[in-house]
Amino acid sequence: MSIPLSWYLLLSVALFCVGLFGVLSRRNAIAILLSVELMLNAVNINLVAFWRYLDPARMAGQAFAVIVFAVAAAEVAVGLALIIAVYRRRKTVVADEIDLMKW
Amino acid sequence: MTPSDLLSILPLLVLVVWACALLLVDLWLKRKGVTAFLAALGLALTAGLALAQAGEETTAFGGMVALDGFASFLNVLFPLSGLLGIAVAYGYLKRMNIERGEYYSLLLFSTAGMMLMAHAADLVVVFLALEFLSLPLYVLAAFARPRLDSEEAGLKYFLLGAFASAFVIYGIALIYGATGTTSLSGIVAAIEAGSLGTSGLLLTIGAALFLVGFGFKVAAVPFHMWTPDVYHGAPTPVTAFMAVGAKAAGFAALLRVFVTAFPALDADLTPVVWVLAALTMFVGNVVAIAQTNIKRMLAYSSIAHAGYILMAFVAFGNPATRADAVASALFYLVTYALTSYGAWAAVIALEKQDPSAGSGQAASGLEINDFAGLGRRRPALAAAMTVFMLSLTGMPPTLGLVGKFYLFRTVIEAGQVWLAVIGVLTSLISAYYYLRVVVVMYMREGAPETTREPWLDFTWAVSALATVILSFLPMALFAWASAAGVMGF
Amino acid sequence: MTGAQILFLVCAGLILGSAVMVVTARNLMHAAFWLIAALFGVAVVYAILQAGFMAMIQVVIYIGAIAIMFIFADMLTRRDVRESRAQIGRNWPVAVLLGLLILAGLTALILAQPGVGRVAPALPSGLDPVAALGKALVSPDAYVLPFEVASVLLLSALVGAVYLAFLKKQ
Repeated sequence: MSIPLSWYLLLSVALFCVGLFGVLSRRNAIAILLSVELMLNAVNINLVAFWRYLDPARMAGQAFAVIVFAVAAAEVAVGLALIIAVYRRRKTVVADEIDLMKW
Repeated sequence: MTPSDLLSILPLLVLVVWACALLLVDLWLKRKGVTAFLAALGLALTAGLALAQAGEETTAFGGMVALDGFASFLNVLFPLSGLLGIAVAYGYLKRMNIERGEYYSLLLFSTAGMMLMAHAADLVVVFLALEFLSLPLYVLAAFARPRLDSEEAGLKYFLLGAFASAFVIYGIALIYGATGTTSLSGIVAAIEAGSLGTSGLLLTIGAALFLVGFGFKVAAVPFHMWTPDVYHGAPTPVTAFMAVGAKAAGFAALLRVFVTAFPALDADLTPVVWVLAALTMFVGNVVAIAQTNIKRMLAYSSIAHAGYILMAFVAFGNPATRADAVASALFYLVTYALTSYGAWAAVIALEKQDPSAGSGQAASGLEINDFAGLGRRRPALAAAMTVFMLSLTGMPPTLGLVGKFYLFRTVIEAGQVWLAVIGVLTSLISAYYYLRVVVVMYMREGAPETTREPWLDFTWAVSALATVILSFLPMALFAWASAAGVMGF
Repeated sequence: MTGAQILFLVCAGLILGSAVMVVTARNLMHAAFWLIAALFGVAVVYAILQAGFMAMIQVVIYIGAIAIMFIFADMLTRRDVRESRAQIGRNWPVAVLLGLLILAGLTALILAQPGVGRVAPALPSGLDPVAALGKALVSPDAYVLPFEVASVLLLSALVGAVYLAFLKKQ
């Protein structure tokens, strides 16, 4: 494989920051959660790339990535349940009150 | 898997199995009081087993988890905090028409997550434990559905929590990249081998992201903005459990990771922690003054106390003060747990369903002014609340004073006199809003409606007595906390 | 430039382009579809990294389960999807600034790392990554504890989600 490690890491950083921007700027709770998923994917790219380049014999990075998958699934399940519960009451999921940068 | 692996995490295993069994058994139980009793029994059993483990030191599952003084200390604290979480909730859930068996199972799951956090000797386990304790808490915060403020509290807590965990794992991924391992002992070995070179910077940035993520979890300024809304909106017993358990678990992770793995990063991270601690103490205490709602005031108080505990971290890089830092942080956690549970129990005693709010969904009785006249109406409850307010301020004759004393001593020993000065000054500021509650209770006329429930009364009475009595014999508790300051992994 | 490099760059472009669409699309349903495109690109990146199992579960779990859940949630909160109000909050300049700041910092950090220009070592001969991962996940000396905890975590999430979304019969 002729791809330098830095390419993967830079891809991961860029994806993480796009997700970060999404979380901070989106007003809709579902969109915020979508952005969190981008951040988690950035983490997984990092983990798998480090596994491949640092020690492919031990599976630490990949095993961690699998755990992140499970956690992401659990998070999305709880999160969407919460969003749907709030929607039922308010008929909107625009997170004006859930403004993340409010002090 | 050897039996000794399983034995070393026996209390945790028992609790998880108990929680799963409780989920099933609850289906056949008509009276939710039985569920509450069974859940409490499970927690008591867990605490007993953890107590029996005191003094053992071992690692298990290939270094994933550690059993040491630190873990067994916290593994007694967490189930006890869960027990109080059940005691304050039992009558409340009935009163608010949200008595559901899931409350108890979820609380048990969350407690199990906290215990796993105390054991964690690998960053994978730290991350999993963080999620394991948080996910049930998101649901518990929204437990009073269809009450809108509770649902929104759950959603807000969830979005911030998910965002924070993304930071935590990105930090962990960078640490893994810098050292090639996620186990704490492996990280130490990699740092000591000195082979990091400029990867050291990668490690530091990873540790900083980790700190940001946990800063959200323990509600340190500037990552605290979710706290007042979530603490306000969540059902009050859940708020109490969150304020004590989740905060203690967050600090458990920070203490474990920073003290065992990152002392070498001391020079880079101590200034960051210094600023975080100072900001948190200052903002928490100053903004608390402006609050008129008791739940929001206690939320800012909980932010401020996160700042006091963060002070202990400025001592983590110094081998001479490291053990003291852990011991005084743990001691302060116990102090805060006792006092804040008591204060929240008093709040619950005054909280009632608001009859004016249509379907009776919203709660009332939560303004500080609603405490007026409590001194005449319920002298014992008012006296207990006075003790809690004194203890949160750090005044004699309460445990809060002793806790602050140990913290300030550690900070000064670490050479951070200015931070200690900020701590003392902000404590003086805090006296204003804590004592205001006392003044309202005794000096103002009013006829507060209070609830008398045996378990609730038990909680505030025991907390108040312990807060006073333990302040006269803190040495036993401190000796235990010091034993916990020694971490093997 | 080798074939693998070209493939990687195409994927990276796909991922980042889709990701930007995810965070800026006005219509949430479109955002969810862009997320699927990004996730698919990540799956190809895993394949390039010879992490076949990861690539497979990326498609099966992330696209097949998680992204589909998002689409369902979009449909269940439909009124909001059609809302014509801006989807980006007022504080977007701060978000852009913070994002760019972290991006610049971490990029500089990564480029300063020694050895990031190296290419991947060959996989040890005889190593079957999928078999090794499977063994690691259930080996008592490796990841069996996290693996089991993850299963309990999923159970508690399930219970919580059912509790929240369950409508009481009146």
